[in-house]
Amino acid sequence: MPSLARSEWYDLTRDMNWTLSYVDQEEAWPQDLSNTYGIPAEKWWGWDEPYKVTYSEYVHNQVGKDAGVYSVNSVIGRSRMFDELDPGWKSAIVAHYGAIAVPEYIAGLGESRMGRFGRAAAWRNMATFGCLDETRHGQIQTYFPYTLLNKEPRMDWAHKALHTNEWGAIAARHLFDDMFTANDAVSTAIQLTFTFETGFTNLQFLGMAADAMNVGDLDFGALISSIQTDEARHSQQGEPTIKILVENGQKEVAQHLVDHMFWRSWHVFALLTGISMDYYTPLEHRTHSFKEFMNEWINKQFIDQFRDFGLERPWYWNEQFLGELEWYHHALHLGIWTWRPTVWWNPDAGMSGAEREWLEEKYPGWNDSFGKYWDVITANVRAGKPELTLPETFPMVCNMCQIPVVSPAGYAAGFLKSPAPLLLDLEGRRYTFCSEPCKWIFEQSSARFKGHLGIIDRFLGGLIQPPDLGGALAYMGLSPEECGQDATNYAWARENGKA
Amino acid sequence: MALFPVQGIFEGDFVVLLVPVDTDDPMTVVAEKIAHHVVGRRVAAQDRPMRIRRQGEFVADEVTVAEANLAPLDVLEVVYA
Repeated sequence: MPSLARSEWYDLTRDMNWTLSYVDQEEAWPQDLSNTYGIPAEKWWGWDEPYKVTYSEYVHNQVGKDAGVYSVNSVIGRSRMFDELDPGWKSAIVAHYGAIAVPEYIAGLGESRMGRFGRAAAWRNMATFGCLDETRHGQIQTYFPYTLLNKEPRMDWAHKALHTNEWGAIAARHLFDDMFTANDAVSTAIQLTFTFETGFTNLQFLGMAADAMNVGDLDFGALISSIQTDEARHSQQGEPTIKILVENGQKEVAQHLVDHMFWRSWHVFALLTGISMDYYTPLEHRTHSFKEFMNEWINKQFIDQFRDFGLERPWYWNEQFLGELEWYHHALHLGIWTWRPTVWWNPDAGMSGAEREWLEEKYPGWNDSFGKYWDVITANVRAGKPELTLPETFPMVCNMCQIPVVSPAGYAAGFLKSPAPLLLDLEGRRYTFCSEPCKWIFEQSSARFKGHLGIIDRFLGGLIQPPDLGGALAYMGLSPEECGQDATNYAWARENGKA
Repeated sequence: MALFPVQGIFEGDFVVLLVPVDTDDPMTVVAEKIAHHVVGRRVAAQDRPMRIRRQGEFVADEVTVAEANLAPLDVLEVVYA
């Protein structure tokens, strides 16, 4: 054990920057891998992480975390706890593992890129811990579902999803490639660790852990809490990076990077967390609506944080973002439930009378704007025509966020001026966008995005054969047994003896 | 006569749909093909004629897809007249 207090040696050992003489800066830190945005090397050496940890402390802490959470998993695995969970909650967990487990592992690439190409030794040191964190998160979030395979075979989508062409997996790959797999170290610090982790997932994980404990899912609650403690540390790489940019006259660069990734994070967050909170979580365990969560934790706390750095709310804040907060995830829920065969979990309609009352209370006007669709759907189920609730064609998918285009819902609910998607004709190809910010992000870096083929582009390009829904499901890696079904076999439509 | 993809929006629905139509289809048939995926599924049926609108302008009922000079993936709205 060291005989000196950490504060007496830490700065010296973790901060070994030096002037290069055998190679030049560009050779050691190519701009493509670590964009300086014109700031000289020495200025970056002032990078100072707010949370300090040594390697021995890190290993000691992590061993304790793993011992604790794997013990919980081992004990609970022998119980009937998972069998007794609400079907909607199970769906949220199956969706979570598929969408998050492998991307966590891939996030290790982003961390290791910062660990090698970060512009200061202190930063590279912290990112190395981040790389170990993300490797752990990938492992633990594939192992836990693995232990549940005998109870829910689709838990194998924790590993499988990101290796398929399922549309949600395409959306996740597109987002995470943009955010960290194909991003430079400086931009990754702001877009992954500051915008996505500090802004969204760190807070989401706190909320999810509490929700898991409420519904009695101790396994998932322990897992998420354990991960969150790592996130809280490594997400702090963004702050000092933003400070360096702002102090050196590059505030606009930081603002642009945040504006870009905040919108993308919002869309995927609405898709996964919005639906889980407001539709899949059992009603008796909902402590807040998704909108309340967003307003308290994201819109207030996170915005306060980036205002501290002199940054402003993104340009689309009032007109697009706050508007979508009222309707976007409701439309996505309706879409995912309708196209349920195309996802690897069982969407829970969440349409019992009590749940509809709760939605109307939390989102005044919900009955008029969204309940009307569910009225027709419910009537079809009650009439013994569930086939009318299933799709016979595809939704258009946004060429930026890769999520179905639901702008007509925003128009019908009174938040958009037109139901139509936004189009861009570029070099002989037509691109479709769900929103102005998605189109803006694309146009800011069209060379980066224009070659990507979304699921609809692939369908129209003949890559999906036969060119029908069955062919698409096979292309997405979904066998009939894996396709999503209504989570409660339409129990919500039969309640109160009305069936 | 050839398959032709359009982006279809039915008035009051929540999503933009990929709908394959035929270049020989008149707008009345295009409207029915889009409505097939929506009416009685999420939007209640109305006993009123449907019309096609493109970029805010109505397209005459008898005009075919080929005659309307549509580009693939043009956005067509179906509204009740």
